[in-house]
Amino acid sequence: MFVDTEIGATIPRRQYTRYVEYLLVAVLVAVTVVLFFVMGFFSQASAETGETKPQHFAGYVHPNDMGTGALLFPSKEPGSFVEAPRLATDVQIDVNGPILRTRVTQRFQNPSKGWVEGTYVFPLPENSAVDTLKMQIGERFIEGEIKAREEARKVYEEAKAAGKKTALLEQQRPNIFTNQVANIGPGETIVVQIEYQSSVHQSGGAFSLRFPMVVAPRYNPDPIVETVDLDPKSGFAVSDPVPDRGKITAPVLDPAENAKVNPVTLTVNLNAGFPIGTVATPFHETDVQTVDDAARRITLKNGSVPADKDFELSWNAAAGKAPRAGLFRETADGKTYLLGFVTPPTIDATPEMHPKREVIFVIDNSGSMAGKSIEQARESLALAISKLRPEDRFNVIRFDDTMSVHFPSLVPAAPDKREDAIAFVRGLTADGGTEMLPALEAALRTQGSIEPGALRQVVFLTDGAIGNEAQLFAEISKNRGDARVFTVGIGSAPNTHFMTKAAELGRGTFTLIGSEDQVAARMGELFDKLENPAMTDIAVTFEGTNTQDITPNPMPDLYRGEPVVLTAQLDGASAAGKLQITGKTGGQSWHVEMDVAKASEGKGIAKLWARRKIDDLEANAYALNDAAVLDKQIETVALAHHLVSRVTSLVAVDVTPSRPAGQPVAGTEVPLNLPEGWDFEKVFGKKAPQALPEDQRKAALQQSEEQAIVVADRMAAAPTARAASLIAEAGNQVNLPQTATLADRYILIGLMLLAIAVMAASTFGLWRWQMRGLILEARSRVQ
Amino acid sequence: MSNNQTMNRRGGFLARLSMLETLVLAGISLIAIAGLMLVGKGFYMKAKAEISQVLLKRSFEAQLHGETNVKPWPWADFATEAEITAPRIGKTAVVLSGASGEALAFGPARLANTPPPGELGTSVIAAHRDTHFRWLKDVKPGDLLMVTRKDGANLTFRVRSSRIARWDESGINADAPGRNLALATCWPFDATEQGPLRYIVNAELVPDTAQATLSALDSASQLSVKSF
Repeated sequence: MFVDTEIGATIPRRQYTRYVEYLLVAVLVAVTVVLFFVMGFFSQASAETGETKPQHFAGYVHPNDMGTGALLFPSKEPGSFVEAPRLATDVQIDVNGPILRTRVTQRFQNPSKGWVEGTYVFPLPENSAVDTLKMQIGERFIEGEIKAREEARKVYEEAKAAGKKTALLEQQRPNIFTNQVANIGPGETIVVQIEYQSSVHQSGGAFSLRFPMVVAPRYNPDPIVETVDLDPKSGFAVSDPVPDRGKITAPVLDPAENAKVNPVTLTVNLNAGFPIGTVATPFHETDVQTVDDAARRITLKNGSVPADKDFELSWNAAAGKAPRAGLFRETADGKTYLLGFVTPPTIDATPEMHPKREVIFVIDNSGSMAGKSIEQARESLALAISKLRPEDRFNVIRFDDTMSVHFPSLVPAAPDKREDAIAFVRGLTADGGTEMLPALEAALRTQGSIEPGALRQVVFLTDGAIGNEAQLFAEISKNRGDARVFTVGIGSAPNTHFMTKAAELGRGTFTLIGSEDQVAARMGELFDKLENPAMTDIAVTFEGTNTQDITPNPMPDLYRGEPVVLTAQLDGASAAGKLQITGKTGGQSWHVEMDVAKASEGKGIAKLWARRKIDDLEANAYALNDAAVLDKQIETVALAHHLVSRVTSLVAVDVTPSRPAGQPVAGTEVPLNLPEGWDFEKVFGKKAPQALPEDQRKAALQQSEEQAIVVADRMAAAPTARAASLIAEAGNQVNLPQTATLADRYILIGLMLLAIAVMAASTFGLWRWQMRGLILEARSRVQ
Repeated sequence: MSNNQTMNRRGGFLARLSMLETLVLAGISLIAIAGLMLVGKGFYMKAKAEISQVLLKRSFEAQLHGETNVKPWPWADFATEAEITAPRIGKTAVVLSGASGEALAFGPARLANTPPPGELGTSVIAAHRDTHFRWLKDVKPGDLLMVTRKDGANLTFRVRSSRIARWDESGINADAPGRNLALATCWPFDATEQGPLRYIVNAELVPDTAQATLSALDSASQLSVKSF
């Protein structure tokens, strides 16, 4: 009886306490989950608001994004620009053997009622040299003169302050051309003409050229909002970044329509120097006229310009007439300039296309790589490892002020090893100093001997923030052996000088990865090179000629059927003698000889030589170790050949012919009195009698007007020229880094957690104490 | 009943708990440990900022005395550039060159795309609002800021104004006329999350003080190449 009641009393009580326990645990779990969620959410939100790029709205552009020649005006969004309406573009490309000369003439308009200072941007092909700049702004003509950088800037600033039309062309990066244009008046028309020299691209017997024509998507249907400010309390985006977003919704302009509004004419005078087989333009419709055996004239068909592809032209030789070698000469200022190219014989002895490779990846995880850089490095390296073939062997070395080698020795790239290495790479964090030498030594010396027939490649991923360059260069040149060193520059401002030179000494190549979205493309290019055997140890000598200066020096390795291309400067107007090129493919040696006297005449070779000479000087700066002397050397070469370089700029000054008194002021439509030798006709011309019905013409006209209104609406034009220059300067602003640590947040959340723990513990204690009381009570009752 | 008694007698606190109670207790202690770790991490970051300044100061002084290649600690990954002092507030900090990577965790840094203080243009020095530039909110227009560069030049700047701007709309032009200094940190000062707003203090070089040292150094100093 007693026992029965006792059991009857305890069971419900026990069940009751169990329920309480469950409830308590559930509450605790819920609180913890909510806490973690809130913490995670905050870090997410701050990452979104703090790290995203400046906002890109439809119609707003940045100079570095331009895929074709464009005139940019400062916009009302600080740091962003708007494109000036492009009224006409004319391109003329003359191909003479291996040399290209391109002349681009573009006509723009300032659609606003105010003054502006614009920036003309043109993406140049690799290794091209700009030497001519001619402009018309309103009714004034200005022409570029080459001057030392500082001097040019002074001339520009003075002219600008005096309210004159002027332009300054400085080299910001080797392959982008940016030109400041001051004092553009209300409604004025601007014509820009630049000329540049470059060389024909040759690969595997095909010749090609490329002209940048990608037009930025100017008019999207709706502005895309990329960043939102989250309210930390509610967690919702509370304010739209642009309150009057509705106002900037622009009319959509179809690329095909765009072509009608902004006509592009393009002519290529192809003079190949050998009988031409086929001519192809993969992305554009063209008319091809046959001039003779070796010459063609290619023009764009009317209105056939899709806006999202560069113009590409490729041609090859008629069957059996393919040139394996060529030599061209130009005489300038009592010196002979030579341009030679030789396509080495293709190696078809080995049946398997890809030789075995032994790849040693070296990754820098020092403190300077913290942030985006290490993310890009990790991603690039993971990609590289995943692309290895099972028959390849590899190893991974990471270094900061310490270093570790992941595998004891080279391991076959079996899937499990690759996974293992990728996991290792993904786990790397950036911290500590940069001690590159031990890692380099480990990569070059301690990885065992090279298997016969294998290619040893060292791939170095770093930002190159180091001080002991000379020591590292010495290590590479001394212990390189048969290995090739490829450098991959990571981050927004890597030490390109160090990496270019290291790659050159290591007989590899330098790849620059500037941002996350370049990783796949740039690493892809690198893999192409890594996987294809090279012609190595190329040397060029002249026999029986006077002193000479050959570029590039030293000659780089060749990949994928590339030809040897060299330029040289010889003393004397009539040089003679023999040019000899030697090299090695696989185990075989290779030797070619050409007679200098038999070279055919070519134009622009001196400029190509000068451009390459400047590159060589930059690359050899470490040996010189004196910045002032280097600058002087570059300046001398650049001034002599009228080239824009790091230390020389083109500054354009007014050359308008004086208008005879009494003659009426010319309208902006047709330029009167062009200076001697100028040719702007193509972009003015007569209104092209296009085969368009009247209503379509009107529609196109209306669209171009709408476009002008939209641009004018977004421009930050100023009532005076002086104010315009202030606006332009303000656009040139510095972005500030994130300067809040999460320390306070951590402490706060930590304290909150501690408080919760204390509360929970006391609740628990209280509950236990009560339980004890109950139990004691029950016991006393029982007894 | 007898069950309860045996449990009581087994002794030891943990042993007296039921399974669920143990779990609850474990949960509580986990939360407490997480809290302690976060507090520890926060204080570690602050301690790192303070202690590194002491070491940086020592190496900067060595640099001023002509020693080259001095590192504040063997694995440091940056160089010292200058020392900035706000005499009225009585604060001083050693400035590093280049606000890249983790440099800002150790000290204020001059942005690499701006000229050194005292050169033509606007030099920008940024630092964390919760450590090195905690005092920036106390700087008032008219205050003097002293900068000692690593080449020994002693410069005085006078604060003109302060303002708040988005990080990507700073309105600071590195090529602006005059010799200017801009100090930047995050805003609002007492917020705990990372936000897009920055607090900027503009200062101008006081000409007389600098003339002598600058002209002496003019021949040696080279302006860095500007990048687009």
